[in-house]
Amino acid sequence: MKRQIPLMIVMILGFLFVIHTFVPHKISADFYDWWQEWAKAISPFAVVLGVISLGMVHGTKISRKAPNWQYSLVTVLALVFTAASGFIWGRQEGTPYMWLFKNVQMPMSATMFSLLAFYIASAAYKAFRARSAEATVLLIAAIIVMLGQVPLGMQISRWIPDISTWILNVPNMAAKRAIMIGVGLGMVATSLKILLGIERTYLGGGD
Amino acid sequence: MEKRKMTLVQRMQQLDRRYIYIVIAVAIIIPLLIPFNTKTYVTEPTANIYKKIDSFAGREDKAILMSFNHDASTMPELFPMEVSILRHCFERDVKVFTLCFMPQAAPLVDYAINTAKEGYDVTSGVDYLNFGYRPFALQLPIILGMGEDISNALETDSEGRKIENMEIMENIRNYDDMNLVIDFSGSASIQTWIIYARAKFGANIAAGITAVMVADNYPYLQTGQLVGMLRGLKGAAEYEKLVDIFAAYEDEDYPNGRPYSQEILKEINVPITADKIIYEVTNEDGSVDKISTNAEMKYEYKKARIGMNAQSVAHVMIIVFIIVGNIGYFLTRKNKKLG
Repeated sequence: MKRQIPLMIVMILGFLFVIHTFVPHKISADFYDWWQEWAKAISPFAVVLGVISLGMVHGTKISRKAPNWQYSLVTVLALVFTAASGFIWGRQEGTPYMWLFKNVQMPMSATMFSLLAFYIASAAYKAFRARSAEATVLLIAAIIVMLGQVPLGMQISRWIPDISTWILNVPNMAAKRAIMIGVGLGMVATSLKILLGIERTYLGGGD
Repeated sequence: MEKRKMTLVQRMQQLDRRYIYIVIAVAIIIPLLIPFNTKTYVTEPTANIYKKIDSFAGREDKAILMSFNHDASTMPELFPMEVSILRHCFERDVKVFTLCFMPQAAPLVDYAINTAKEGYDVTSGVDYLNFGYRPFALQLPIILGMGEDISNALETDSEGRKIENMEIMENIRNYDDMNLVIDFSGSASIQTWIIYARAKFGANIAAGITAVMVADNYPYLQTGQLVGMLRGLKGAAEYEKLVDIFAAYEDEDYPNGRPYSQEILKEINVPITADKIIYEVTNEDGSVDKISTNAEMKYEYKKARIGMNAQSVAHVMIIVFIIVGNIGYFLTRKNKKLG
């Protein structure tokens, strides 16, 4: 039953949504409105589940003094303090919540993302070697696109931004389209398998 | 044990990554600390968004929606875009709504609005409205619901006020009126807007994305599913320039900004080292006339263009590293062939 009931819910609702997409009848529209209300009511529970799950995982680590349990303590304290600051003082400019966002989250996130520039520079130096004809084409394309992205490219030659745009518009687009069509067909096939109950891995293991 | 001395060619091939990191850090930090003037060339995907928003100027029955789908990590690229577009709307009296489906984006929306509205006489609920954060699970019902009735799909704004009877909502019911959605993200979130708001309701969709996502979104630009695209920091810098030249322009003929013109854009440059907005007009004979204004050139208004200086130098340094590595590679190969 633990598998049959979710399977039935997915199949019935899945086909109802397919019907809704293609049948513009009042019953279909009413069903859609009904679903919207349900979706609004269900979504807050995802947050509750998330907080419970986070608390259980890190709470266990702290109580058992598992390796690196101190990080778990920081995570739990950050969760409690950030949430409390938002609940107590609100989220407006000048509140502790906004201070935390501007002075803790923003610089930390920006720092992590900015490391990309250093990794790209190091990887480009180590990996971009003209070892074969294909690698040479890739290398030249990369240099042109990089120059096309900055004003210097235009100042060197007005052709550089044009060639850069052509690379993005023609060879890049052909490859992207091929991937997207492949992914799209794969999604349709997987969706059908789920609707028909053939694909059941999303239900997880156990009976 | 005696260490074998590396030849210059070997050094060129095996440069310690720490040296690369130092050079890149210096190449980025110095241009950020000491800004210099470079020309920003405006591309068509950026100009198309500008023109679309500008076509709503002063209209009570049109509005735009800005969807913030990113966290602080992608702020350096996306935040200047958001501030520029908000500034454009405030300058040209375009109704603007904001919304986010990520909890991390909620403070970003407030931060962007507070940054952009400084110096403008704009009011929440009249000139702009923040719908606030909605759980990601509600993204689909909200995107689809706004196609029917925005007030019904969202009900309240970020401060919990009923949006139905707000002044800004007059003449704004669904995507027919809120006819441009700009999604800012470092992911593929734009596809949700294209699939549902564009395909089902015909809404105009535009993207403000990080540079690494540009290649992924080109197909949508070519098909016309995206009316325009702000591509990374470059797109943000281009938009900043457009706002300076057109939306922030004031004279007797155009007290609230002038309309977009390709001809004017070609002739004018706006230096970023000045404290006030200065228009440098290049004449046919190559001479340059400077038109000074009293409009303040705040740091927030030129952030992307300053960032582009750093990006330019960093790109050049990466290209230099690639060339050095390849010279080393070819010389090593040649030496091996010679024995």
